[in-house]
Amino acid sequence: MKFQTGAQIVAACVIAASTLLGTAEAGASTLTGAFDTGPAGAPQQFNPLTVTAGYSWFNKYFSTLVLYNVEMNKISGDLASDWTIAPDGKKITFQLRKDVKWHDGQRFTAKDVKFTLDMLKNPDMPNQFWARLSDIQSVDVVDDNTLVLNLDKPNIALLDALTNVMIVPQHALAGIPVKDIRTSAWWKTQPIGTGPYKWGKYVPDQYLELDANSSYYRGRPRIDTLINRYFKDDGAAVLALQSGDIQYSYMSLAQVRNTKSDKFRTIAGPSRVLNYIGMNFKDPRFKDVRIRQAFLMAIDRAALIKYLYAGEAKVANCVVTDPQDVPANLNPYAYDPATAKQLLAQAGWSKIAGAPIELLTYYNDPVSKNAMAVIQAMLGAVGVYVQPRFVDAPTYGELVRTGQFSMVYAGITNGPDPDVLSSVLKADYAPPHGYNLMHVNMPELDALLDQGRTQTDVSARTGIYQNVCRYTNANLPWLPMLEANRFAGVSNQVQGFLWTPAPGGGRYMEHAERWSIK
Amino acid sequence: MTNYLIKRILLNIPILLAVLVVVFVFVRLAPGDPVDTFVPPGQDMTLEQKQVLRHQLGLDRPAYAQFYYWVKEVAQGNLGYRYKDGSSVSHEIERRVPATLLLTGTGIGIGVVLGVLLGLVGAHMKGSAVDHALSLLAYIGVSGPVFLLGILALYFLSMTLGWFPTGGYATPGKGGAVDILWHLILPASVLSIQYVAMLMRYTRASLIEVMTQDYIRTGRAKGLSRSQVLTRHAFRNALIPIVTVIGSNFANIIGGAVFLETIFSWPGMGTLLLDGIGARDYPLIMGITLWIAIAVLIVNLLTDVIYAFIDPRIALN
Repeated sequence: MKFQTGAQIVAACVIAASTLLGTAEAGASTLTGAFDTGPAGAPQQFNPLTVTAGYSWFNKYFSTLVLYNVEMNKISGDLASDWTIAPDGKKITFQLRKDVKWHDGQRFTAKDVKFTLDMLKNPDMPNQFWARLSDIQSVDVVDDNTLVLNLDKPNIALLDALTNVMIVPQHALAGIPVKDIRTSAWWKTQPIGTGPYKWGKYVPDQYLELDANSSYYRGRPRIDTLINRYFKDDGAAVLALQSGDIQYSYMSLAQVRNTKSDKFRTIAGPSRVLNYIGMNFKDPRFKDVRIRQAFLMAIDRAALIKYLYAGEAKVANCVVTDPQDVPANLNPYAYDPATAKQLLAQAGWSKIAGAPIELLTYYNDPVSKNAMAVIQAMLGAVGVYVQPRFVDAPTYGELVRTGQFSMVYAGITNGPDPDVLSSVLKADYAPPHGYNLMHVNMPELDALLDQGRTQTDVSARTGIYQNVCRYTNANLPWLPMLEANRFAGVSNQVQGFLWTPAPGGGRYMEHAERWSIK
Repeated sequence: MTNYLIKRILLNIPILLAVLVVVFVFVRLAPGDPVDTFVPPGQDMTLEQKQVLRHQLGLDRPAYAQFYYWVKEVAQGNLGYRYKDGSSVSHEIERRVPATLLLTGTGIGIGVVLGVLLGLVGAHMKGSAVDHALSLLAYIGVSGPVFLLGILALYFLSMTLGWFPTGGYATPGKGGAVDILWHLILPASVLSIQYVAMLMRYTRASLIEVMTQDYIRTGRAKGLSRSQVLTRHAFRNALIPIVTVIGSNFANIIGGAVFLETIFSWPGMGTLLLDGIGARDYPLIMGITLWIAIAVLIVNLLTDVIYAFIDPRIALN
């Protein structure tokens, strides 16, 4: 009797305790992910204005003026509620949201935007944004919620450039001299943003924890805590995803193919990076367009995609790959080694070829290595002898900038706005002025790119880029290869998750505040 | 003894300087500009901004001047600042020291203890099935590259069986001693395999050789049991080659630790060094190299001093 009552009491206590514990735990939801693995990641880099990637994570606690939709074909406002462009294109007026607060409670105003843009312009803080924003002559604050950008010349692509410029608080940073801001400890001890999450706890080299911002202007996030775990090795991150330790990670093609799990699903999207073979135009061997055409026709790009990329890529026939910018009736440069040999013979290739040509690349993943081997074999079959050479990114940068190269296999961001190609294709952006490392010099192409940048009418702009596509398809400043897909894995417990790859990450409305965990 | 120590320490300083000069030169000979790592292929920074960055990082000075200023700062206790974000190199290294010591210390500890014990067992049971099995394991341990063994361990023990976490130092949110230990076991064990395999073989061989000596027969004749003779007399005499192996493989352990830190996402100095090399972060590379070089030199010194304690016949001069 006593024993039974005693046992019942104990049982009741245990049940009560576990219910309480259960309720407490059910209240706090956490999403842990490897948010900085893969090519768009920037692990443990905390200044969003001086890094060149990692924007997906920055979007969680900072905000930008404008963002794309998840399909990346339309820009809408985030901190900006609306904007108008003057008829001559030299003035953009932004209306800003009135309900935005910084994480410390202060109101967000146009002064913060001016502060951010002025800082980017300041030579004391070197950054990669200014090259695309340099047409901004001045920024005027009309009132707390209205801002005007005065431009030297019309530049509609500025809106695209602004999709990853995180706005930072003037009241917190104005006291620090600009040249000290790049390396300031503020970024990793107490940054203040306007995003759906705010800075929580940073454990160096292990993880960064963000807590939900209950006064976020789109509503309090449903998930209470986001944790970004740092992984030195991308493979280790995917293993953690498989075992359920984390709920999100970037995945490579090989990892997607080799892991089937009912615990998580994989999402694919176009990388918006064009893989191409570039040739040093200062080398007279490549001047004849027939030679470039022959190279392209010697390579069976469809087979490369089918066998090496498992179909997760699409053939590119010009420098842009967004379907709306690619017209019909392009020259498909179908695989045709016989014609390739003919063209090479006509152009006298065997007389000018010389020693085997070094094909330089900074890609070191297995898929790219296989691709290079295949390209070498296919070119060899028509009498063009190349030697792949794999180096790391800084080495590649130095070799190419100093002109010590003949051919490269590289990737270039060509979206979401194709204007990004201006600084790599226009003649006056050849080194040391810019990144046209192949020394492409095609005045008609330059003219088209200039038009594209200044045309504000959407359908007219699309027409211009279709012409860019036709021109580069015919004249081959580069040999366009393919645009590959990129992947992420997310746990099936996570609902409402939106993801698409973008160069550097971020840039689109992912609605992190609507994500939830089952 | 003190004289010997002082002499050795003074001798180590030019060695250290030589190592630093060599690393300094080679790292700068490697193609790739630190400023380029701020801007990956496909993006751009204006020329003006690049020059400002160069100046801020001190890269516009000639190489010998950079080295001179670096040594001067180090002599004053300042290891400089990272190119990446200006954080102090000493601070970055300090932050990683506990994790590094934990991993290498535990790895070496397990390696030495297990290696010597198993070597003892092998010598004691020479010729038996157990001895042969241990030899086989030793060969596998010595031949298997550390990164392969690490990945296999991660795959089978962490992912498939779920006995251990898939990397990291501690579970986010937790971090107690037990949690860290649970995360430590796998990488430390894989790291120890090198030492276990090598020490097993050397201990066994050295012991077997010592066991054939006359004084051992005397001990047995005196009435000591086989195991008493082994542990009391033979073992101490067999220690010299064992200590040599431990000392000379210390640098290998550091190398192995770098691989394992990457595979197991262990936040030690190895991954920090890799980050520095990839980003051509010269101050960071030089700072970590300095510490590794000092550690190796100290271990060499300790090895020599320990010899004198083990074997009084060895005079330090």
